Amino acid sequence: MSSISLAVETHDVRRIYKIRGGKRKGEAKTLIALDGVSMEVPRGELFGLLGPNGAGKTTLIKILATLLLPSSGTAKVDGLDVTTQTQEVRRRISMVSGGETSGFGLLTVEENLWMFARFYGLDNKTIKSRLAEMMQMVGIYDRRSTKISDLSTGLRQKMNFIRGFISDPRVVFLDEPTLGLDVTAARDVRDFVKDWMAQNPDRTLLLTTHYMAEADELCDRLAIIDKGKTLICDSPENLKRRLQSETLFNLKIQPLRKPTSPEDVIEAVPGVRSVTIADQIDFSELRLSLEGEDALPAVLAHLSGRGSGLLSLEKREPTLEDVFTQLVGRRLDEDTSQNSTGEGR
Amino acid sequence: MTQIKTPAPPTAKATGAMLFWRTMWARAYPRIVGSLVRERSWLFFETVLPLAATAGYVFVYQAVGAPEEYVGFVVLGGAMTAFWLNILWAMASQLYWDKEGGNLEIYILSPGPLMAILLGMAVGGFVMTVTRAAIILIVCSLAFSVTYTISSVPLLIAIFFLTMIALYGMGMMFAAVFLASGREAWHLANLLQEPIYLASGFYFPVRALGFWVAAASSLIPLTLGMDGMRQLLFAGDATLGFLSVEVEAIILLILSVFFLAAARFMLTKLEEIGRREGRLIERRR
Amino acid sequence: MITLSSARPEGDHRPMGFADRLLSLPFVQRSDALRSFILGAWLGWQIESNWADPLLFAVYSFARPLASVMILVVMYSVITDGATQQPIFAYIYLGNALYIIVGGMLAGISWAVIDDREHYRTAKQLYTSPLVGYAYLCGRGAARLLIGTISTIIVTVFGVLLFGIPITFGSIDLPFLIASIVLGLTTLSGLGLIIGAISFQLGRNAWQAGELISGALYLFAGALFPLDILPPVLREIGLIFPATYWLEAMRRALLGANMIGFQTFAALDNTAITFILLAMSVGLWISAAFVYRWSMRQAREKGVIDLETNY
Repeated sequence: MSSISLAVETHDVRRIYKIRGGKRKGEAKTLIALDGVSMEVPRGELFGLLGPNGAGKTTLIKILATLLLPSSGTAKVDGLDVTTQTQEVRRRISMVSGGETSGFGLLTVEENLWMFARFYGLDNKTIKSRLAEMMQMVGIYDRRSTKISDLSTGLRQKMNFIRGFISDPRVVFLDEPTLGLDVTAARDVRDFVKDWMAQNPDRTLLLTTHYMAEADELCDRLAIIDKGKTLICDSPENLKRRLQSETLFNLKIQPLRKPTSPEDVIEAVPGVRSVTIADQIDFSELRLSLEGEDALPAVLAHLSGRGSGLLSLEKREPTLEDVFTQLVGRRLDEDTSQNSTGEGR
Repeated sequence: MTQIKTPAPPTAKATGAMLFWRTMWARAYPRIVGSLVRERSWLFFETVLPLAATAGYVFVYQAVGAPEEYVGFVVLGGAMTAFWLNILWAMASQLYWDKEGGNLEIYILSPGPLMAILLGMAVGGFVMTVTRAAIILIVCSLAFSVTYTISSVPLLIAIFFLTMIALYGMGMMFAAVFLASGREAWHLANLLQEPIYLASGFYFPVRALGFWVAAASSLIPLTLGMDGMRQLLFAGDATLGFLSVEVEAIILLILSVFFLAAARFMLTKLEEIGRREGRLIERRR
Repeated sequence: MITLSSARPEGDHRPMGFADRLLSLPFVQRSDALRSFILGAWLGWQIESNWADPLLFAVYSFARPLASVMILVVMYSVITDGATQQPIFAYIYLGNALYIIVGGMLAGISWAVIDDREHYRTAKQLYTSPLVGYAYLCGRGAARLLIGTISTIIVTVFGVLLFGIPITFGSIDLPFLIASIVLGLTTLSGLGLIIGAISFQLGRNAWQAGELISGALYLFAGALFPLDILPPVLREIGLIFPATYWLEAMRRALLGANMIGFQTFAALDNTAITFILLAMSVGLWISAAFVYRWSMRQAREKGVIDLETNY
């Protein structure tokens, strides 16, 4: 794809942090946050970066948003090099992060937004008309004269969204934008994103999230990223289609006894491709991926042999969560620092 | 590879001087609104406290039987503390505060120049600063019957403005230094409070410290600024001055250029380090 | 490969040590107030001390206090041509050195209020926990007092060695010194708590509330110059502040016969000053209890306990 039609382009981007805490005093450890990420995002696409906490999503976004330099490799936004053409890039982008605290508590919503818009050089007339329109769009017009210290988390994030979009950016980076929001506020934010993309088909939006359903709902294409590497990049539909040869079940069972030997794990049962277990207070939830339905009786027999009875069983369609589990070998909400050694909890 | 021209940004936005201007006033706005409309309690705090401190030093001079002109020296010094405190607390340490509040990232991300943002903070804080300085000057002058004999008004204005330019240039440079030091900024601001009152001669003629100490202190623009203004305001006492007013004006001019250039260089450097090392800019706790 | 989520520097915690042992004592475990005080003092110490950092030690215990006193030394010397053996010099110097403690006590608690709220943003967590608020705040103030005391000692020793401030073993009146210290600390902490409690009602300027009061006292309490210098009306104001009596008592206790006497306190002997401080102590602590309760209720009503006003 030619460089002009690409909104974001990275080539073998690596980012290494030096952190304190080496074995000797004063010695620095290195921490590889990005380990050679290459990707291309065409203009007009809503592209998602999906991965667990610590996967490197935010690092990548920060590099693209000119807040961080890559240790090696190249990254371009709107055809401009983020390392050398910083100022030009900044005129074309914006970034909104979840849980953002920017702004001045004693200013009103309108005043804060006016101030941020002026940092982008917008004139008062443009700001005024666009502010009114956008505040109505996200539903905070009637709160425009409220000091932001008096806003709820959801309303504050809506204000942050307007801040991100008021400068009419060509490329917007959204870093976990619905983090900490309630269901309604998160839905409003997602609706806003969809509307904006529909109204501005030549603009591009890069979204990081660890909410699978959000990525599935919003993104045209997405990359799954883990431990600083891109594992796969495709549309949500294509990613899920990869799993159509598999049969997926959700099982609720009585709490499962620990396996007595490495051979005693569910993965050892013939026909089981992968399994994740989430322990609840008085039951365990199993997500099974099998080669076919005929593998199920053997699994149930195995569970029964380990003293666990079946509470409910449901066959289901593949989700992005399953794609992630298949690729990474563990669930998305597991800590990346934990090892996965079978019977993946 | 053929370089393909990228399209212009969608909305016409100001660049260059106009962007600088808009950014500066935008950042000044919270301070102006904050001080004039929303939280007016500062007026009390910002005037009563320094008035008390200035009066205290006047009484010390009276207790030891100092000549009359020393009262004027203290009053001028007391008024000028407002500018020094504005530099330290509302400018030099402000990038650190803004980092903590989550705003620095937005400043860096926006095309608005960091120098414009810092200047905006200073301009916004100027309302408070000038009020504070003026109140000390007027109230103490009246209360202690200070007599001013101005020898040259144009030179007095020139010295004052050169001092301010050099001082605020230094404040911008400090903002970068404070943030880059990785320490909590108020420790550095604290370090530069009383020790600078001493070294710059806020409450006595700086030449009392001896030539070399006074010369070293002259790196702080207020040292020569105050010395020059004292010579011009109390015309009969030019003998108490450190250097001649003309020489002081030239040095202040050099300092202005130097500090503004240094500030620009260091702020650029700061951003570069921030982006390279992945720290400085973002809030970590 | 190390992932970001595991990026926690090793050795990044400090054991509570002495405070932990204190908290384990049975009578401490039975008292919420003692527990709160110890935790406050421990936290204050962690925040304020940091002796491992030479810069911070230099700033707070050395550079600032010495610079303050040196301003006065230079002012005095310019006029008197360096006659530091005059009793008025010891009066000014010692008043300034002791005032570090007064400032720390008065501003310490209000500073803790604003620091928790605006900087560490822990006010929400603190005041929803079963800590006893005033005891916790006193603990924070105690840590600051300790650091202020170290500065005062440094500045005083500096004055004795360099400028010949006449404090000798013979000049010190030990029983009166101990009584003055105890009563002074009680009185000033009561006042500090009142200012701290009021700080809950104020915006970002709250950190200045303590400094404002201590600044005003600086002028009226005879710290830098004898009250006799002040016009009569202002002199009366000085006489209602406890710091005025405390500074007089401390100077008398330390300088003994070398202390210069002034008209204002000529009629008061050491016993009279001790009783004045005792009465003020009781009065201020009773007032502090009322003000604290009122202020906390107001703060809860207005929802400003965890206010953030940064601009």
